[in-house]
Formats: sequence, C-alpha cells, structure tokens
Amino acid sequence: MKHEIRFIINGESRSLTVLSQQTLLEVLREDLGLTSPKHGCSTGECGACSVLLNGEVVNSCMVLAAEVDGADILTVEGLATDDELHPLQKSFIDHHGVQCGYCASGMLISAKALLNRTSRPHEEEIREALVGNLCRCGAYADIIKSIQVASRARR
Amino acid sequence: MISRKPHVIGKPFPLIEAQRKLTGVTCYAGDEKINPDMLHARILFSERPRARFWLRNLDAARNHPGVVALLTGRDVDGRMGHTVADRKLLAVDEALYAGQPLAVIAAETPEIAAEALALIQVDYEDLPATLSIEESLSPGAPAVHPDFMSYRGAEKLNAEPERNIAHALTFVRGDVDQGFAEADVILERTYTAAHLQHAPMETHGGVAQRQPDGSVTMWMHVQAPFLQRSIIAGALGMSPEKIRIITGCVGGSFGGKVFVSIEALLAAIALHTDGRPVRLLLTREEEFKGVFMAPAMRAHIKMGAKQDGRITAIEATYDWDVGASVDAAIFHLQAVTLAGTGPYAIPNVSVRTNAVYTNLLPAAPLRGLGVAQVHWAIEQHVAELAEILNMTALNLRQWNLVKGGDHLFPNFVMHASGLESCGVLAVDAIGWRPETPRPAEENAADASVRPGVGRGMALGWSPIILSDQCGSSVTIRFDRERLCDVVVDGVDIGQGLYAFVTQVISFELNIPVEWITVEPTDTANYAPDWEASYHNLLWSMGHALLRATGEMKKQILSYVAKVWGEPISNLDIVDGEVVSYASRRKLPLLSLLEEGMGEEKSPPSFSVTATYRPSNVDGSIDSLLQSFASTAYAAEVQVNPETGDLTILQLAAAADVGHALNPESVRAQIKGAMIQSVSFTLLEEMVFENGVPISTDFMKYPIATTADMPLQLHPIVVEVPQRSGPYGARDLSHHVQVGAAPAIANAIYRAVGVRIRDLPITAQRIYDALQEKRARESAVR
Ligand code: FES
Ligand code: FES
Repeated sequence: MKHEIRFIINGESRSLTVLSQQTLLEVLREDLGLTSPKHGCSTGECGACSVLLNGEVVNSCMVLAAEVDGADILTVEGLATDDELHPLQKSFIDHHGVQCGYCASGMLISAKALLNRTSRPHEEEIREALVGNLCRCGAYADIIKSIQVASRARR
Repeated sequence: MISRKPHVIGKPFPLIEAQRKLTGVTCYAGDEKINPDMLHARILFSERPRARFWLRNLDAARNHPGVVALLTGRDVDGRMGHTVADRKLLAVDEALYAGQPLAVIAAETPEIAAEALALIQVDYEDLPATLSIEESLSPGAPAVHPDFMSYRGAEKLNAEPERNIAHALTFVRGDVDQGFAEADVILERTYTAAHLQHAPMETHGGVAQRQPDGSVTMWMHVQAPFLQRSIIAGALGMSPEKIRIITGCVGGSFGGKVFVSIEALLAAIALHTDGRPVRLLLTREEEFKGVFMAPAMRAHIKMGAKQDGRITAIEATYDWDVGASVDAAIFHLQAVTLAGTGPYAIPNVSVRTNAVYTNLLPAAPLRGLGVAQVHWAIEQHVAELAEILNMTALNLRQWNLVKGGDHLFPNFVMHASGLESCGVLAVDAIGWRPETPRPAEENAADASVRPGVGRGMALGWSPIILSDQCGSSVTIRFDRERLCDVVVDGVDIGQGLYAFVTQVISFELNIPVEWITVEPTDTANYAPDWEASYHNLLWSMGHALLRATGEMKKQILSYVAKVWGEPISNLDIVDGEVVSYASRRKLPLLSLLEEGMGEEKSPPSFSVTATYRPSNVDGSIDSLLQSFASTAYAAEVQVNPETGDLTILQLAAAADVGHALNPESVRAQIKGAMIQSVSFTLLEEMVFENGVPISTDFMKYPIATTADMPLQLHPIVVEVPQRSGPYGARDLSHHVQVGAAPAIANAIYRAVGVRIRDLPITAQRIYDALQEKRARESAVR
C-alpha cells in the first residue's frame, strides 16, 4: 500500500510517497539520497542508522516510513550549518573520535540528543547514552572524549 | 585546525578523511551508485555442514516476474582461493559447509530477489562431516577435501589432505629432548581459543557492472582489491585486466575483507545481466554465516626449566581450525610459527603449526594473524611455570627474554626493541609495583589489593611480515589542475592510510597538506599482474612514498635549477616555495605551475611513480620478516567470587611503534585495539549447532559496547626506532592486541586463584572454575 507523507527533514519540508513496508532508513538512503545513516544490522542492534525523530534518537531501520508523517527528522547531513561544522563534528575530528567511520553518524546523533537533554554530561552519562551504538573499531574512549570536549566548548 | 604549513612528522595531524566521515560524505559499500535502475542480488546459502543437495523449482524462481538472472554451480563452475583453489564459486551437488553459496539471483528489487530465492526448494541428504580440530585429526575422520591434490595451487602447501591438514609448518632449534632432560621442572598444558567473527560494522557488499567490452567493473570496499582481482579472475576464468575494482574507505575489515567471499559471485551475476549495475549487500545475518570467521586455536605447550629460571626447552603445537577453506594458510602459519615461542630466547625449540580443515565456515585470520592466540597460551604458561619455580613471573620473563642481537632465525637477528620497557611501563601504569620479589605471595593472591581484585600482565611480540609477492606503489602528479594528486595501491580501512600518505608527502615535499588529494584506489591504475600489499602498509607504503617524494623533489628542483642556471644542490623547497640558498631567489611552486618560468612559458607538470617490493622473498621461515613489534598489557580486575562476574578496573597497553609519526592517532589506535581485545577476550565466540552457526546477530554474538569498557584505559606509546623502517617507525595494527587476553587471565588467577585456559573468559567459565576449585579444596580437607 502507498502512503503520502509530509515531514521536515534537516529543516526542509518534504512530501513523498512511500510503501507500507518501507523503513525510514530505506527511504532516507534510497529515495532522499541521505546516506549518513548507515545500514549495520536492520534489526535495531547497532545504532548505525540512528536519526533524531522529533528530538529523540531512533534506529531508523526500526521505524516505518509511513509513520513519520508530520515528524521533524535530523540526520548528520543537517548538523553543520552555513559551511560551519557542528561543535560535535569538530570535536570528533580533533579528538580522533572516528576510525573507519562507519559508526560515526550514529554516534553524532546519539551525542546530539544527549547534549540536547544535558548540557554537561558526565562520562558515565555519555557511556550510557552510547550503549546502543556499536563501534567495532573500539573508538569509544575517544568518542566519549570528543563529546565531553564539545559539551564544554558550548558553555 | 589544519595548518597551512607543511606538516612535521611526529606532530599531531588530524585525519584528512575524518571530516568527510563526520559529515556523512564518505562513500561506503552501501552508498555506491545508488540508482533506481540498478539490479539487486541475493545469495542462497547452504544450511547443512556437509550434504548432497538438490535445487528444486529453479524454473519457478527463474521465471518469477522481475528476476533477471539466476546462477547455480551448473551454470558457472569455477574454483577459487588465494594459495589453493579449495573453494567452489557455487557448490555443485555437494555442499561442504553451512553458509556455502548454492545459487545467486539478480532481480529488479531486493524484494523480488528475496521472493525468488524463497521459491527455490533445497533438498539435503546429510553426509559425514567433521566439525572440530579433534574430529578432523582423529583417525578415520572423513576427509574434507579428498581431491585436494587436484586443486590449482595444491603443490604450494605442505598438506596431508587425508588427515585434513591443509598446511603445516615447523621450526626446530637445538634438541628439545636434550632440553627437557636438563630441566628440573616440566609443565604441559592445553589452551584453546574460540572461532571469532571480524564483524565489521559495514557488511560485505558492493556494486558490479558488466561493461560493453565484456569486462566487469566493481565498486567494492575491500582491504585487498588487487588480490581480489586476481582471485576473481581465476574463479571466472577471465584475465585480470577484465576485472576492475574501485574502492574507497572501508567500514572495518580486520582481515575479513582481504580474501574473496561473495565478491566473485557478484561479478559472475553481473556478467549474466543486461549491463545495469548490480548491487549486493549482505544482511547482518548473512555477514555472520556466509562470509568468513576467524580460525579457532588449540595449543599444546610443553616447557621445561631449570630451578634457577632458565627455560631449557619448549615443544609447542598450534592447531588452527580453518573451516573448509584455507586462503591465508602460508601467511598465517608463518606468523604464528615465528611467534610460537613467545618473546623468549629458548635454546631448544620445536614449534609445529597445523591448519586443519573442518566442515565449517571458511576462516580468515583476524587482525593479529593468530599471534594474540599464541600469547594466550604462552603468557599464561610462563606465569604458571614461575609459580611452580617459586619465583615471580616477572623475573622468569626477564631471565629468558629475547634481546637485541639474538640470532633467532637463519636470516634474522633481533634488533633493538622496547619489549622490556613496554612491560615495565604497562605494569607501572596500573600502579602495580611487583619489583620487590616476594616469591610465594607474588603469584598467589595479591596482598596489596582488596579481596577479589588481582593484577596480571603479559608481554607480546609479533612478527611484521610483508604480504606475500606484494609491494606498494605510489604515483604523485604535480600540475596546475590538480596540484598534488596522489594515486596509491593501498586501502584506507580505518587505520588512516590516506592521512599517512598526505602527511609524508607534505613533510617530504615541504608543501601544505591542502594541496594534496589522495584518489580512491583503483586497480585500473596498475598493470594486471600487480599485487599490492594489503597490510603492514606503513612499512611498504612508507618506503614507496619516500622514494616517490625524493624523486619528485629532484624533478622539480632540477627544472628550476636549469632555468636559474644554478646547481641543484643550492636549491630546496621550503613552505611550498623553491628557494636558492646561494642566490636567495624564491619561486612559489604555485606560480611555477600556473605560469611556468624562464623562456618556456608553458607551465611544467611533474609525475613520479615509485614502488617498493620486499627483497627477502624465498621459501624460508623468515622470508618477508621485517621486524618484531613488542607490546605489553597489564590488567587489574575484580571478580565476584559468587557469580564469576568480572570487571576490568584498569587496562594498560604499551606498544613499541618505533616512532609515532602521528602520536594522537597512534594512541587512538591503541585504545581501539584495547577495547576490541576486551571484546575478544570476554564476549566473543562463534557458536555452532551441528555445524550450523547460531551466532548470527549482535545479541547472540555480542561485541563490546561502552558498557563493557574497562573503567580506566592507559595507552602507552614506546618508541625504540626501527632502523630499517620509514622514519624509524613500525606498523602497529596487528600487534597492539597481543597480550591482552593472557594479562586478564593472569589477573583473574591472582584475584581468585583459578586459571581459565579457554577463550573467551565468560563469567560462566570463571564460576565453573571456582566451583571446581572449592570442590577440590573441600576434598582435601
Ligand atoms: S541498522 Fe538500525 S540499528 Fe543497526
Ligand atoms: S569507527 Fe569503525 S565502527 Fe566505529
């Protein structure tokens, strides 16, 4: 079955026809060309596909596209503004919060959601916020540091 | 952030690719050529370890609307393999392992491909299979590859196919019988390590397209595109120039994307379609059960020592369960044989390593090439031996440690190394001061810490062996359009290769990093028989870069020198300008490229290609061995004696990298390896049920999350220069993990008095060992 949906993606309003079984991840990547959310498992176990849906982190592989009608969605493509990187992106670059980079989008999105809730998270809170984001390169320590530094820089 | 100045080696250098990765721009396998017209491939995998099989309903699948091509082993009958062609492209009549491809389909949509796949019915008739090292080596076991000797490349291996030994290597020094006769104490133990998964976050996949001339172009994010080109060509009976592989950044490989798994099938199906691009992306489940795992190990170690702590002999056998295919045999066994004694200079040695076939998923070595598993055995063994000798493990290690100048192998004399410093620094970092030898207590529970808490350490040393038959090549072009454009034959798998290339060129040519662009790796840029190195790239690529930049600098300077009428020795490049120290003239390189100079007004362009190929290639045990890299791990753990639950309070890793060219990046790599090691040590095990993998997702095969991190991490960089390495540096990606698992096991022993000799160290295993210990103690009482 086809559905007409309208939503805001990275600040822009879009309308689209999607199929009932299509996931948000699929629509973002294949139809809208927003490839920062990655496919890592498609079963909600890895967080590589994380996006912000109305300000909350979701695994976009577990959300049906038909359900996001009216929602406000943010992907990593929408993080930087006016040619300036988001402080999180800068910090990840400066503090080696990225190795192979496959998990990076999911990490940034989870970090963004965390900083929206808590302006200066403790290490413990950061660890908790990232528990659903797998990084096979094991870059967690530098990812946590990147987030910490970014949160301090914002003050 | 990125300086406008030329880069200085040894100073921080942010990864160039990082910005692209963090803005979602970097292209990975699944991002290639997304286009509504492309076709989608799916593979049908065997579900039995060894069986005759029949594919029914093929016509229904073929005629399913939207199916463009369907291939079975009857349509394309190719064999493939790196050393020996022991794998079929698609099974014919008999499947050798669960996960072996039986058919491949291309269709208009992924859904149609899946539907068509589901239409095929597979009937199996089970055949006798062997599912473990023990089974395979026991007399009368079914041979996994009875026709081995007829396979292409079989003669390259030292195989005994009827005993399921795919390849074996031995190293003997002195006389072990004599050595054991001299020993006061002899200790014999068996250690095991489970099958692991590489489990990159990016699953295998890519896009392939048939070209009008009958060749195929593939966009595949793999670690070894050149090796894959030749394997795929061999499998399809094509010449290598008909296969072009373009690659970019890889979303994790760890050894799992070196050899060909599903890539040849993608090429095959693309050749049977209408020329539209075909995409194949494995699901996570398929990634777990349909590509490669890493070999399991069984080690048997016998060591003899004098009462004073001198180890007189070692006899070690390392058996590796490589599943039904042995792609990496030569290389893998060479590494574990060379590392087989651990970092000890023992006068009498006999090391044997066997690659053992089973009817399980093919194995490809994980990062570290098995050297970490060798140390799992050796570094626990040494600790236990020390206890029997009533001395500290540290003293026993120091007594027997390999030293610079030791003539270890026929053509290899040990160089200066940071082995000892690594040990001292790692132990120091966790606040452990075992320098006052209190023999008895030192090995029993640690009196200086709380009950249930223990500290342990382990050393590591890993051979740095270059890829067989391979080299590294780099082309630098300098012209007005592209400024400094670089083509390399290596791949960035997350280790920061492109950053390294940029860093060296910026430093050597003394030009800003912004001028430099590293192109995605493309096999079309090289001769069809070129084999590029796919690991230890710092070494081979580093040497190629030094040659290329030296030559480039000479070209530029001699051009300018000629116009200026000065000897080239007066000239240099400084901050992107050619300067003459004699005449004080200056010429910005940019204006040279833009406007040219002197009489000839047409601007010049420069181009240099340089290659590095190791020279010490022969059949000997130390062929291609460049050096040994040292590491040490120290761990402080807390064990709950009731449940066996383990917490790593502190983990320190010291790695001798020779010279840290980019110190923060080196530390980041060490930290990453530490966390990965914790994951391998405590969490990971590929589980099979009757030969069928049941660890097929991240719930059943958990990998470390932020919740599993040690509470404190201490990465330590040690720099004892490697004289023959570029800038005195050594590769680090393989060896940084070596020593983690035994350090943790040694710490557990000191915390609660039980030895775990099987990896992974699960809470259940600790609990069982504690129960057994209690039973033993109460029986004594
Ligand atoms: S792809 Fe969505 S959680 Fe893994
Ligand atoms: S950086 Fe490779 S998965 Fe996180």
